[in-house]
Amino acid sequence: MEPLTSFFAVSVILLGIGIYGLTTKRNAIRILFSVELIYNAANLNIIAFARLRNPPIVTGQVLVLFTIALAAMEASVGLAIIMLVSRLNVDIDLRKLTRLRG
Amino acid sequence: MTDLTFLALATVTVASSILALEARDLVYGAAALGIAFLGMAGLFFLLDASYVGAFQIAVYIGAVVVLILFTVMLVGPQLGEPPLELKRLSLLAAILLSLLLGTAGAVSSASAFPGPDNCGSGCDLVGLSSALINQYGVQLEFLSLVLAAAVIGALTLAKTERKTQ
Amino acid sequence: MGNPIIDLLTSTYFLEIAVFPGLLSIAILGALLGWLERKLTARVQLRVGPLYASPAGGILQMFADIIKLLFKELTIPDGADRFFFIMSPVTALIIGAALLGLIPFAPGIQIANIEVGLPVFLAIVTLSPTIVLLAGWSANSKFPFIGGLRALFQQTAYEIPLWLSTLGVVIVTGSLSLTGIIDYQRNNGWLIIPQLLGAFLFIVTSTAEMERLPFDLPEAESEIMMGWQAEYPGPLFMLVQGPAFVKLYAFSALFTTIYLGGYLGPVPIPPIVWFFLKTILIIALIMLFRSTFPRVRLDQLLRQGWTTLLTLSIANIIIAYFLVVGIPAI
Repeated sequence: MEPLTSFFAVSVILLGIGIYGLTTKRNAIRILFSVELIYNAANLNIIAFARLRNPPIVTGQVLVLFTIALAAMEASVGLAIIMLVSRLNVDIDLRKLTRLRG
Repeated sequence: MTDLTFLALATVTVASSILALEARDLVYGAAALGIAFLGMAGLFFLLDASYVGAFQIAVYIGAVVVLILFTVMLVGPQLGEPPLELKRLSLLAAILLSLLLGTAGAVSSASAFPGPDNCGSGCDLVGLSSALINQYGVQLEFLSLVLAAAVIGALTLAKTERKTQ
Repeated sequence: MGNPIIDLLTSTYFLEIAVFPGLLSIAILGALLGWLERKLTARVQLRVGPLYASPAGGILQMFADIIKLLFKELTIPDGADRFFFIMSPVTALIIGAALLGLIPFAPGIQIANIEVGLPVFLAIVTLSPTIVLLAGWSANSKFPFIGGLRALFQQTAYEIPLWLSTLGVVIVTGSLSLTGIIDYQRNNGWLIIPQLLGAFLFIVTSTAEMERLPFDLPEAESEIMMGWQAEYPGPLFMLVQGPAFVKLYAFSALFTTIYLGGYLGPVPIPPIVWFFLKTILIIALIMLFRSTFPRVRLDQLLRQGWTTLLTLSIANIIIAYFLVVGIPAI
């Protein structure tokens, strides 16, 4: 069995990649990618920490099932918004998306 | 044996998630994101969370990546990433990233958390399902309500757009 | 201690993956299924079908076709996305072969006996619309893209009744592993009798997942001329057609396992023969759909999928509940 530390390391790296994407990307779909990556990093972390207890507990897996469902909802609503915006506006660059500004 | 599998899965996951953000074409990005999710499902299998791994594949690749691909193809090819203007922000992000990576390296060198070899009852499928229904039943119901609300919301967004055209 | 390479090549695990239930047998069976389909369709339509490629009624016809296709020119359409154009059929073939790794063919003959075999099988099935959509998009042509979008709508809509119809089996047997489901049927009889509605739903939805007639809208020849497969040249067309038969084999094997008792049967005939008898029966049934039902329209397909089949599969779950709990006295 690989020590759990390695899983934490993967999780942290994914979180870093996700934050990098959130801060530098301007395309709405790329930002959605970053959010999904951060969700995944959190999921991996939760499952690995649930293994840390001796004996391990199932609560982590339950929580991750809930998170996966939430991520699917977030993606569906987010993509619906992106499609709507792309029809109204020409591009989905988030920094140019100022339709609601007074 | 597990060591090599873990190494391969972790490399695939990290590399394809970087590719997902940096690929020039968004379709390639979405495909790379799908591969990253597959690698993540493999990591879940290594942690004896096989049921969660199956759902990771079904929901993330079967639903989320397909939706993303569909949107990318419908929204069209004008989505090339614009050149970065905010150099300062990207610099900040790079510093943050390297800090996080450094932490990861420091922590992993210590090998502080060995983790039990045998998961036993903690990864038991029966335990998981009974906890999901008995202990977290109310939360599950709330989650399904939220899911219904999200689907209705997404449908409404798509539908109003069609009427205005 | 012998040569490690020879040890690896003769180890049971390697042989299972490479030869029998694995890759070699999948390739040969896929080609034979192609022959069976052509022969059956021909018989229904009062034709002869493949005849000349071997003494035994043209049974080698598909191998001859494969050799012919391999020698054709490999053309890639102008402006196509080469990477996805070539990788999509290859990935589809890998996915189809991965499905068969989960099926128990006989006691002990199973590549991956995992605790959550059924959800993993269905999860691998959900990868397929992504591949088809990418294949249709990459050809950079109208009909393939329409075919890819149709495949996306159809397969994602029919995945939900597929999952829910197998949920009935899971509720009755209390097991998610395919071996566990067979063990239940060893003591309690085949599940097709209490789960008849579920079995019907499974056949219908899996036919739609396989894109076979009457649900072959993504590759309808007369409407969008083979749909997402339209632009594929000879050798790649073989790779595109291959996964269709592999998926047919895998879905029929899963149906046999969860509804018809898998390899169980009376003793004198060995279990593996029982398994293949039942599987080929199901395959022939699905092939007969092709020559007996007309193709449905896309709106009919989606409406039926989201309303009738979804309602029926929830009714099937309720039936399974009463099977486990018992019918309350009123």
